Amino acid sequence: MEYIGEHLWIGKIGNVFVILSFTFALLASIAYFFASRDNEETLSWKRLARIAFRIHSVAVIGIVSTLFIMLANHYFEYEYVWHHSNKEMPLRYILSCFWEGQEGSFLLWTFWHVLLGLILQRTAKNFEAPVMATISFVQVFLASMLLGVFIFEHRIGSNPFTVLLREHPDFANTPIFSKADYLQKIDGRGLNPLLQNYWMTIHPPTLFLGFALTVVPFAYAIAGLWKKQYTEWIKPALPWAFSGIMILGTGVLMGGAWAYEALSFGGFWAWDPVENASLVPWLTLVGAGHVMLVNRKNAQSLFITFFLSIITFILILYSTFLTRSGILGESSVHAFTDLGMSGQLLIYLLFFLYLGMMLLIIDRKLKIYYSVITLVCAIAWFSLMAADYTQSPVLIVWILASIVFLVIGRIFHFPQQQEEESLWSREFWIFIGALVLIISSFQIIFYTSLPVWNKLFDLKMAAAKDVISVYHLWQIPFAIVILILIAISQFFKYKQTDIKVFGRQLLLALIAAFVLSIAASIALHFTKPLYGVLLFSGLFAFFANADYALRIIKGNIKKAGASIAHIGFALILIGALISTSKKDIISQNTSGKSLESLGEKISNSDNILLTQGDTLPMGRYFVTYNGKRFEGINIYFDVDYFTRNANGTFDKEFSLSPLVQTNPRMGNIAEPDTRHFLTFDVYTHVTYADLASLKERASETMGEYTEAKNYSMKKGDTIFSSNAIIIFDSLSTNVDKAQLGISKDDIAVGASLRVLDITKKYEATPMYVIHENKIQPIASKVDELGLQFMFWKINPSNGTIEISLQEKKENVRDFIVMQAMIFPYINILWIGCIVMVIGTVLAILERIKRNRNKTT
Amino acid sequence: MKKVHIIGIVIIALAIGAILTTLGNTSSYASFSEAAQAPDNEFHVVGKFNKDKGSVYEPQVNANLFTFYMIDNKGQEKKVILNKNKPQDFERSEQIVLIGKMQGDDFVASEILMKCPSKYNDGKPQETANK
Repeated sequence: MEYIGEHLWIGKIGNVFVILSFTFALLASIAYFFASRDNEETLSWKRLARIAFRIHSVAVIGIVSTLFIMLANHYFEYEYVWHHSNKEMPLRYILSCFWEGQEGSFLLWTFWHVLLGLILQRTAKNFEAPVMATISFVQVFLASMLLGVFIFEHRIGSNPFTVLLREHPDFANTPIFSKADYLQKIDGRGLNPLLQNYWMTIHPPTLFLGFALTVVPFAYAIAGLWKKQYTEWIKPALPWAFSGIMILGTGVLMGGAWAYEALSFGGFWAWDPVENASLVPWLTLVGAGHVMLVNRKNAQSLFITFFLSIITFILILYSTFLTRSGILGESSVHAFTDLGMSGQLLIYLLFFLYLGMMLLIIDRKLKIYYSVITLVCAIAWFSLMAADYTQSPVLIVWILASIVFLVIGRIFHFPQQQEEESLWSREFWIFIGALVLIISSFQIIFYTSLPVWNKLFDLKMAAAKDVISVYHLWQIPFAIVILILIAISQFFKYKQTDIKVFGRQLLLALIAAFVLSIAASIALHFTKPLYGVLLFSGLFAFFANADYALRIIKGNIKKAGASIAHIGFALILIGALISTSKKDIISQNTSGKSLESLGEKISNSDNILLTQGDTLPMGRYFVTYNGKRFEGINIYFDVDYFTRNANGTFDKEFSLSPLVQTNPRMGNIAEPDTRHFLTFDVYTHVTYADLASLKERASETMGEYTEAKNYSMKKGDTIFSSNAIIIFDSLSTNVDKAQLGISKDDIAVGASLRVLDITKKYEATPMYVIHENKIQPIASKVDELGLQFMFWKINPSNGTIEISLQEKKENVRDFIVMQAMIFPYINILWIGCIVMVIGTVLAILERIKRNRNKTT
Repeated sequence: MKKVHIIGIVIIALAIGAILTTLGNTSSYASFSEAAQAPDNEFHVVGKFNKDKGSVYEPQVNANLFTFYMIDNKGQEKKVILNKNKPQDFERSEQIVLIGKMQGDDFVASEILMKCPSKYNDGKPQETANK
C-alpha cells in the first residue's frame, strides 16, 4: 500500500548519520591507537584520527538534530516519535521527549562524550592520542547502541530512524494501518505526564554530563598505564575529575530534590537502587580526585589512584546496566523495562572491566595469561548462555580470576613506593579517606545488587523491610570518619607535619564544634548518641574548614575552593541528619474517634483521615480539607493549615494542594505539596482519596440510605456516624402506643438516644415492638442529619441492646487520607549543595590556571 | 609490619563485616506456606490480588487498615491485613509484593509494592478525533 504523507527520507538521513557515527568512531579509535605509538607514522595517523573523530562528531550532532526535527514536527510514522511525544505538547517538553526513551538517553550521553572529545583534542597535548583512543573506543560501543542491525539473530542496538510505527511487531494488524492516510488521523502517546515538569528538562542532561565526565579520568588512567607514564597523566586529568565530581554530584542531588518535591517518597533520599547506582560512582570519583591531588606531588598511593579512576567509569556502566536491564524488578520504584539491550550493555561493561584490570596487572606475562583466561571464559559464556546471560558460573569464575590476577599484579609487579609515608602527612590521611570511600561504596553497591546476586547464585534474597536502617548502620560511621578527615586533612602538610602546630591550629574548631554539637543535641532531643557524634563531626568539618579559609589562607577566595566545597559537604550531611532524624510525621494518631472505636493497636498509623469541612489537630497545626478541584488529569486536594491564637480562635497559616495525577500510562500517582519555611518544611501528600467527582455520585443516589451498621450498646455507650456522636441514655417503657399506631397488647420499649453534631443536639427514640410474638421495630429518624435508627433486640442477661444505624448517602462527605511531615532545617542541606558546587567550581578554576601557568 | 599491612587487614575485616551484616539484614522471597513455617521472620511474598473476593477499606473506621485476599505464586490464597492505606489504583495491579509475617492464618503486611500492567507500555496506535 502507498501511505500518504510519510516522511521516510528523514529516517534515511538519520540512519546515514548513525552509520557514519559508528564507522568513524571505529576509524578514530584505530587511528588514535596507532597515533599513540612512537614512530615516523605517528603524525599522519594522528591527522587521520582527528579528522575521523570530527566526522564522528558531525554525525552525532546530525543524529541529534534529525531526531529533534522529527519530534518537533510530529512525524508519528516513527515509533520513537509516536511513543514519546504528541501534538498537544508544548515545545519546551520536546527536549524531555528526546531523552525519555532509552535510545535518546544514550544519544545524550554520546553527545556529551563528543563535546568532551572535541575539547580534549585541543587541550590534551601529549596525551591526546592515547586518551582519545579510549574515548573513541567508548564511542564505538555507544554508537552501536543505535545501530539496530541483526547479527546472528541478535539485535545490536535500537535505531529510532528505522523502526516505523506500522512495521513495529507490537502493532501488527492494528486496524489504523489499513488506511493509506493513517498519519492524518493519528496522535502520539505523548510524554508521560509524570515527567512533564522542569526537572525532566534539567536533570537528565546534568546527570549524563556527569556520567560522561567520568570517561576522562578513566581514559587518562588507561593512557598512563598503557604508555607507562604512571604519574604524568594525573595533573591534566585532575580538573576533569573535579568537574565530574561537581556535575555528577549536582545531578545526584537534583535527583534527590526532584524526589523530594514531586514524588511521594517522603524524603529526598530513600536509598533506592537507582539513586544508589549514581551515588556510588560519585563516591569513588571523589576518592579518585583526592588521591590524584596527593599523587601528582609524590606518588605514594598510585595503585589506588588508578583503581578508583578506572572503577568509577565501570560503575557508571554498571549503574546503567542495573537501571536499564530490568534486573532490579520489584526492588525499585523506578522500574525500567528491558529493551533487549541488557546483554549488550553487560558485554560492554565486562569488556571495559577487562581492559582496566588487564592494564593494571602491569606484567606482560600475567597480562597474556589473564587475556587467555578471559577469552576462554568469553567463549564458554557465549556458548553456554542459552537462556539467561546472567545465570552462568562462568561469570563468577572470571570475576574471581580477575581479583586474583589483580592482587598478584599489585603485590609483585606494580611499581612500589620507595619509602613509607609518614603518619603525620596529608597524603596518608587522604589515602585513608579514599579507602573509607571504597568500603562505603562497596557496602552500598553490594546491598543494592541483591537482585544481581540472586540471579548469579540462584538465591531468593530480598532487601530488608527497613532498607534505610541497613544503609545507615554502615554509612553513618563512614560519614563520621569522612567528616573528621575533611576537618583535619588540610591542616596536615605534605610529607611531615609539626604535630604541636597542627593541634594548636585545630583546637579552636574542635572546641566550637564540641560545644555547639552538645547544645544542639540537647535542643534537638537526639536519642541516639551516634547522631550526636555525626553532628559533632559535621560541625567540626564546618568550623575547621571555615577556620582554614579565614586564618591560614587569609580569606583568599581563589585558593579557598576546597575549604568552601568541604563546608558545603559538611552542611549537606548536617542538614540531612537533622531533617531525617527529626522528621516528624504529624499526621500520626490524631484521627481520634476512628482509632478509639476500633480499640486495636495500630502498628503503622502514619495516615490521617480528613473529612471535608472538619478541622482536626495535627502536630502544631489544625487542618481542614476544603474539597477537590479537577484540572486536566490532575486532581488537587485543598488543605488549609491553621494555628490557634491566644484568643482560642484559628488563624489560617497557609494552604497546600497535594494532587493525584490520573496518569493514563502509569495509573494514579500522588504528588506532594510542600510549604517551605526558613527553618522547616511542611510536606503533605494524599495517600488515598475517592477520585470520582462527588456531585456525580450524589445525584445518582439522592435520598438513599447506606447499608445498615449494627451496634451492641450499653447505657452510656457512644457510637459514631460520619457527622455526629450518638449516646445511648436510657430505655423507657413509657410509650404513647396510640400515637404510634400499635395496639395496647403489644410490648413496646423505646431507646432514648442523644445525637450530637458539632453545633446542635437532637433526640431519637427508635422503638422495640413485639406484636403477636413478632418483632416489628419502629424506626426513628433525624432528618436534619440524614440518620435512621432501628432497635432490634434487648439482651437482659448483659444489659445491652442492639441498634442499627443507616445514613443517607449524600451524607457521606468527601474525605481524603493523607500524610503530613515536618522536615526541620532541611534548608541547611540545600544551602550546602549550593556551597559545595561553588567551592568545587573555584577549586577547578584555580587548578586549570595553575596547570596552564606551569606548562607555559 | 608496615602500616599498609595493618590498613589492609582492617579493610578486609570491614569488607567482610559489611557483607555479613548486610546479608544478615535481608529478608527473602517466599510463598505463604514457607512464611507460615517461620512466623517470626519477615518475608517478601509475591502474588496476585483475588479480584473475586474483593477488598475492604473503610477509611472512616480506620485509615490504616486494608484487607484483601491474595493468591501467591504457588496458588495458595491467604487473607492479607495491611496496616496502611489502600494503595491508589490497587485494583489495576497485576502483581503484588507484600512484606510481612504470617500471624495465625492471616498474612500481616507492613509494606506493599505493586506492578501495574500499564507501566511504560500501553496504548496502541489508533484514530483520534480531529480537533
